[in-house]
Amino acid sequence: MGVSERDPYTGHQTTGHEWNGIKELNTPVPRPVYFFLIVTASFGFVYWLLMPSWPLGTTYFKGLLGSDQRAVVQQSLQEAKLERAQWTDRIARESIAQVQTDPRLMQVVRETGPSLFGDNCAACHGRDARGNRGFPDLTADSWLWGGTPEAIAETIRVGINSTHPDSRTSQMPAFGRDGVLARKDIDNVVAYVRTLSDLPTADASPEAIAAGKSVFAANCAACHGEDGKGNTEMGSRNLTNRSFLYGSDTSSLVTTVFNGRQGHMPTWEHRLSALDRKILTLYLLDLRAARR
Amino acid sequence: MFGLHYRLETKAMGLVLAIIGVSSIGGLVEIAPLFTIHQTVEEAPGMRLYTPLEIAGRNIYMREGCYACHSQMIRTLRDEVERYGPYSLAVESKYDHPMLWGSKRTGPDLARIGGKYSDEWHVRHLNNPRDVVPESIMPAYDFLSRTELRKDDLGEHLAALRKVGVPYTDEMIANASSDAYGQAAPDTPYAEGVVKRYGAATNVASFDGKSGELTEMDALVAYLQIVGRLTDAAYKPVASAE
Amino acid sequence: MIGQLTRNERQGALLILIALAILGLAMAAVGRDDPLGGQGALVMVAALAGLFGVISRYYAPEPGPDRVSRYYDEPSKVGIIIAMGWVVFGLFIGDWVAWLLVDPNLTFHAAWSSFGRIRPVHTTSVIFGFGGNALIATSFYVMQRTSRARLPDQLSPLFVLFGYNLFCVLAVAGYMMGITQSKEYAEPEWYADIWLVVVWITYFVIYLRTLARRKEKHIYVANWYYLAFILVVAVLHIVNNLAVPVSFGHARSYSLFSGVQDAMTEWWYGHNAVAFFLTSGFLGMLYYYLPKVAGRPIFSYRMSIINFWGITFFYMWAGSHHLHYTALPQWVQTLGMTFSLMLLVPSWASAGNALLTLNGAWHKVRDDATLRFMMVAAVFYGLATFEGSFMAIRPVNSLSHYTDWTIGHVHAGALGWVAMITFGSIYASVPWLWKRDGMFSPRLVEVHFWLAVAGTVIYVMAMWNSGIVQGLMWRTYNDSGTLAYSFVDSVVAMHPYYIARAIGGLMFLLGSLVGCYNIWLTIRTAPQVAGRTASEFPDAAPIGAPVLQPGE
Ligand code: HEC
Ligand code: HEC
Ligand code: HEC
Ligand code: HEM
Ligand code: HEM
Ligand SMILES: [Ca+2]
Ligand SMILES: [Ca+2]
Ligand SMILES: [Cu+2]
Repeated sequence: MGVSERDPYTGHQTTGHEWNGIKELNTPVPRPVYFFLIVTASFGFVYWLLMPSWPLGTTYFKGLLGSDQRAVVQQSLQEAKLERAQWTDRIARESIAQVQTDPRLMQVVRETGPSLFGDNCAACHGRDARGNRGFPDLTADSWLWGGTPEAIAETIRVGINSTHPDSRTSQMPAFGRDGVLARKDIDNVVAYVRTLSDLPTADASPEAIAAGKSVFAANCAACHGEDGKGNTEMGSRNLTNRSFLYGSDTSSLVTTVFNGRQGHMPTWEHRLSALDRKILTLYLLDLRAARR
Repeated sequence: MFGLHYRLETKAMGLVLAIIGVSSIGGLVEIAPLFTIHQTVEEAPGMRLYTPLEIAGRNIYMREGCYACHSQMIRTLRDEVERYGPYSLAVESKYDHPMLWGSKRTGPDLARIGGKYSDEWHVRHLNNPRDVVPESIMPAYDFLSRTELRKDDLGEHLAALRKVGVPYTDEMIANASSDAYGQAAPDTPYAEGVVKRYGAATNVASFDGKSGELTEMDALVAYLQIVGRLTDAAYKPVASAE
Repeated sequence: MIGQLTRNERQGALLILIALAILGLAMAAVGRDDPLGGQGALVMVAALAGLFGVISRYYAPEPGPDRVSRYYDEPSKVGIIIAMGWVVFGLFIGDWVAWLLVDPNLTFHAAWSSFGRIRPVHTTSVIFGFGGNALIATSFYVMQRTSRARLPDQLSPLFVLFGYNLFCVLAVAGYMMGITQSKEYAEPEWYADIWLVVVWITYFVIYLRTLARRKEKHIYVANWYYLAFILVVAVLHIVNNLAVPVSFGHARSYSLFSGVQDAMTEWWYGHNAVAFFLTSGFLGMLYYYLPKVAGRPIFSYRMSIINFWGITFFYMWAGSHHLHYTALPQWVQTLGMTFSLMLLVPSWASAGNALLTLNGAWHKVRDDATLRFMMVAAVFYGLATFEGSFMAIRPVNSLSHYTDWTIGHVHAGALGWVAMITFGSIYASVPWLWKRDGMFSPRLVEVHFWLAVAGTVIYVMAMWNSGIVQGLMWRTYNDSGTLAYSFVDSVVAMHPYYIARAIGGLMFLLGSLVGCYNIWLTIRTAPQVAGRTASEFPDAAPIGAPVLQPGE
C-alpha cells in the first residue's frame, strides 16, 4: 500500500491514493456488515434446503419440505371450501324459498352477492344491478324470461344467445333491413307501440296509430302478444310498461324495429359453480324484494 | 482479499473480465435450466394456435399498452383463483412471443377474459369504458372502430412467428389475410377456411357488428375472446411438477 | 461544439451523418407502409439537422494542439443540458399519466395520448433520457479526472451522446406512433435496439481507451461502477432483445423467447436495469461528487470493495422476485427471494459508506442544498433497497405485487435516489464546467430541494397507502369466507390517492423547472474565475504533469 496519512477527523488512515482531490480512508469493514452477510446467507442456505431451490440439469432440488406453490394453493382452496361448508351445504341443498326464510343464510347471500355480482355481472348490468342501455335492470318487475327463481337461475346457467348448446335464444327480426315492412309502416307501428305504455305521441295522427295497430297485429303479436304484454317463453319484451332496453324515444324504437335486436348474455355454467349461480339468483331476488 | 483487489483495480481488462464473470453466474443458473427442465412447461395436447386475426389483435393490445394496466397471470393464491379462475400455467403462454404477464393491475387480470363477456360488450367498453362501467378509469379506444385493419402482411407475421417456434403451416401462412377477413365475416366462404385450418372451436363472428369491413376493433375483440382459451389445461386438476 | 473538432474529425462526422441520412432514407422507403417509415424519416431529419450543424461550422478555426492539456468537457456540458430537457419532458408526461388515472378523459381523444402509450414515454424519458444522459455526461467528466487522462478523441464521445439521444427519441416517438415490443423498459423495437448496441460499444471502447491512458495506477471506485453499468447493461440489452423482425420493412418483431422463458429473461433484464442502470451508474456518480463537494475522504475503501462485488454478484440473481407465485417454477422464485435478502447488505453498506463519508462535513450538509441533495439521495437509496428486499419476500410480495405499492417503491428509488443524486451532481458540476463561482442562485437550489423532497414524500406516501389498500381489498374476506370487494370497488377507492400522487408529482416537476432556470442563468452569467485555486475547478488540474503518488 501507498504511504498513507491519518485523517484528523476520524483518526483513520487513508489508503494513500488521491484522485483529483478525493481520498479514501482504509477503515476496516464494520462488523455488522459481515454479521448481516452471514445472517442473510445462512437464512438462504436453510431456505434452499427446505424449499425447491437449485436446478440440477434436467430437474431441480425439491426441498426437504416437499412444498410446492400449486399444492399449497390447492390445499388452501380446499380448506376454504370446508370452512364455508357450514352454509354452502345448506344453500346447495335447500330450495330457494327455504333459504329465503332463513335470515342467517340470507345474511351470507347479502355478503357474498355484491362482489360475486360485481366481478362478473356488473360490467353489463351495473354495480347496483339496475341495468344499462341494452342490459336489463335485474331489480325491476319486468322480466324477459319471467322472474321466477327457476327462470333466473336457468338464464344465468345457459345465457341468452350465448355459446351454450342449451342457450336461450331470442331474436327480434329486422323488419326494415330485411324488407318486411316499409318505412311508413315502421313509423306507424312505433307510434302505436308508444301508446301501449302511454308515451306521448303528439306528432302521430290517430290514423297513423290505427294503421300501426294493424301492422302490430299482423307482424308483432305473434311474439309480443295481442296486448303487447310480451312472452316470457321466447324472451320477447313486454311493451306496455316502459321498461325498454334500447330506449323508448321514437328514433330508438324505429332503430329497434328496423334493425331488430338480439341481446347477448354469456353462459356462466363453466365459469361459476352451481352454488355461486344459486347465490346470484338469491341475491337478485333479494335486491328485487328490497326495491319493492 | 483486499490485497488481491488492490492489484485487480490496477488492471482495466482484469476488472472488465471480473465484472463479466461475476455478473453472468446468476442469469445462467436461473435462465438456462428453464430450457432443459421438462416440468417447466406442462404438456397440453391439442393446444390451438392464434389465428391471424387474433395475432393482429394481440399486436394492437401491445401497441395500445393494455399490458400496462392488465396482467395476464393469475398467481397461485386463493383470492386470485377465487376471483379470476384457475391459476395460470406456463403452457398457456407457450406461443406468446413475448409473454404479456404484466406487472401492474390498474385494471383486472385478463388471463381468463376469453368468453367472459359478449363481443358487443367489448366493443362498447372499448369505445367508451364509462358507457358500461361508470366507475372505470380505462381510456377510450373508439378510434379502433374507425381504423381499417392492415391484413396484407399477416402472412409475414405468421412466418416470423414460425421462425421463433410457433408451428404455423405453409397453408396457414399463405391464407393469413383471407383467414383474417373470414374470421370476422361469418356468412362468407372465407369463414370456412379459418375453421378448417384452425379448428372447429375457432370464434367466427362479426365482432364489431359490422360485417364486411375489417377493423382493428374486430381484431382486438377476437384476441380478447381467445385469451386463456388456447388450451383448457388449466381447468384440469394439474398434477404439477411431475 | 463543432469548433472543438479537428478537420479530420469534422470529415468523420460528415461521413457518419451522411451514412445515417441514407440509412434513414432507406428505412423510410422500405417501411413506407408501416410505422417504420415514420421512424426512418425521423432518423433522416436528425441526420440532416446534424449535417447542417457540422457544415455551417465546418470552416471554423480548428482547436490548437494545446487542447490535449485540457480535459474535453464539451460532451459533459451538452449532456447535462440535454438531461435537464429530458427530465422536464419526462416529469411532465409522468404527471400527465398520473392525472390520467384521476380523469381518463384527459387523453383529449387522441390515440397517441392514451395511458398505455404515454406511460412508457414517461418511463423511457426519465430513465433513459434523463438518467442515461446524466450518466454519460458525468461518466466522461469523472473518468477524465480520476484517470488524469483526456478522452481519446473529440468525435466519438459526441457520437455516443447524440447517437444515444437518437435512440431515446426513436423510442419515445415510436410509442406514441404505436411501436413497442411491450417488454417493460426494453420497449424499443429491433432496429433501435441494434442502433443502441452500436452506440454502447463505442461508449465502452471510449471508456477502455481512456482508462488505458490513465496516469493513476489505481482505478477509482466510481469507475468500477461506471464500468459495471456499461458492461452489464450491454449484456442485458442484447440478450433480452433477441427477436425476429417481421421483415426489414416492418417495425414489429417477435421476441425469440416465449412464455415462461421470456418472462424470466425479461425480469432478469428488468431487475438488473434497476441494478446496473439506476443503481451502479448512479453510485459511480455518488462516489465522485459526494466526497468532492463534502471535501471528505471516502469512509472506507474496504467497504467499497465488498459493496461493489456484492452488488454486482447478488443483483443478477434477484430478477425472479418479479415473478413470485406465477407460472415461473418455484425453485427460481426461491433463488430470487434469498439473493434479494443478501443484496440488502451491500446496498445498505453503500448507503452507509456515503453517509459516514459526510462525518466531519455535516455543517456543509446543513448549509449547502447541493450536498443535501446527495445526502437525501443516500437516505432514499437505503430506504428503497430496504423496501425492495422486503417486497422480495414471497408472502409480502403476494400483497404488494400488481399494486401501487410497487409504484411507490419505484418512485422512492427513482425520485428519492436517482433524481436527487443527479440533481446534486449537476448542481456541483455546472459551476465547475462553466467556470462559475457557484450556482447563480443558491436560494433557488434550496427551493428546488424542498419542492423535490416534499413532492417525493407526498408521492411515495400516497402510493404506499393506495398500494396497501388495494392489495388488502383484493384479498379481504368477509365473515362468510367469500371475497369482500369486487375489483371495481378497489378502483373507486384509489381515487383520492391518485389525486395526491399527481399533486406530489407536480411539485417535483416545478422543482426541476426551477432547476433549469437556475442552470440557465448560471451559464449565462459572466465567468468569474479570478482568485480561485486550481483544486476548486477540478478540470484545472494539468493533465500531463504527473502528480507523484507516494510509494508508486
Ligand atoms: C356481456 C354482458 C352480460 C353479462 C356479463 C351478464 N349479463 Fe345478464 N344479460 C345480458 C343481456 C344483454 C341480457 C338481456 C338479453 C336480451 O336482451 O335478450 C341479460 C339478461 C339477464 C337476465 C334475464 C333478465 C330477464 O329479463 O329475464 C338475468 C337474470 C341476468 N342477465 C343475470 C345475470 C347475472 C346473474 C350475471 C352474472 C353472473 C349476468 N347476467 C351477466 C348481458 C350480460
Ligand atoms: C320473432 C319474435 C318477434 C317478433 C315477430 C317481434 N318481436 Fe319485438 N322483440 C322480440 C324479442 C325476442 C325482443 C327482445 C330482444 C332483446 O332484448 O334482445 C324484442 C324486443 C322488442 C322491442 C325492444 C324493447 C326494448 O326493451 O327496448 C321493441 C320496441 C319491439 N320488440 C317491438 C316489436 C314490434 C313493433 C314488432 C313488430 C313489427 C316486433 N317487435 C316483432 C321478438 C319479436
Ligand atoms: C388506465 C388503465 C387501463 C388501460 C390502459 C386499459 N385498461 Fe382495461 N380496464 C381498466 C380498468 C380500471 C378496468 C375496470 C373497470 C372497467 O371494467 O372498465 C378495466 C377493465 C377492462 C376489461 C374488463 C375486465 C373484466 O373482467 O371486467 C377488459 C376486457 C379490458 N379492460 C380490456 C382492455 C384492453 C383491451 C385495453 C387496451 C386496448 C385496456 N383494457 C387498457 C384500466 C385500463
Ligand atoms: C413528476 C414526477 C413523476 C410522476 C408524477 C410520475 C408518475 C408516474 C405514473 C403515474 C406512473 C404509472 C404508474 C401506474 O401504472 O400506476 C409511473 C411509472 C413509472 N415511473 Fe414515474 N413519475 C414521476 C417521476 C419519475 C422519475 C423521476 C422516474 C425515474 C427516474 C420515474 C420512473 C418510473 C418508472 C420506472 C415507472 C414504471 C413503474 C412500474 O412499471 O412498476 N418516474 N410514474
Ligand atoms: C436491494 C435492492 C432492491 C430490491 C431487492 C428490490 C426489489 C424489488 C421488488 C421485490 C419489486 C416488486 C416486483 C413486483 O412485485 O412486481 C421491485 C420493483 C421495482 N423496483 Fe426495486 N428493489 C431494489 C431497489 C430498487 C432501486 C434502488 C430502484 C431504483 C429506482 C428500484 C426500482 C424498481 C422498479 C423500477 C420496479 C418496478 C418494476 C416493474 O416494472 O414492475 N428498485 N423491486
Ligand atoms: Ca411495471
Ligand atoms: Ca427492445
Ligand atoms: Cu427487482
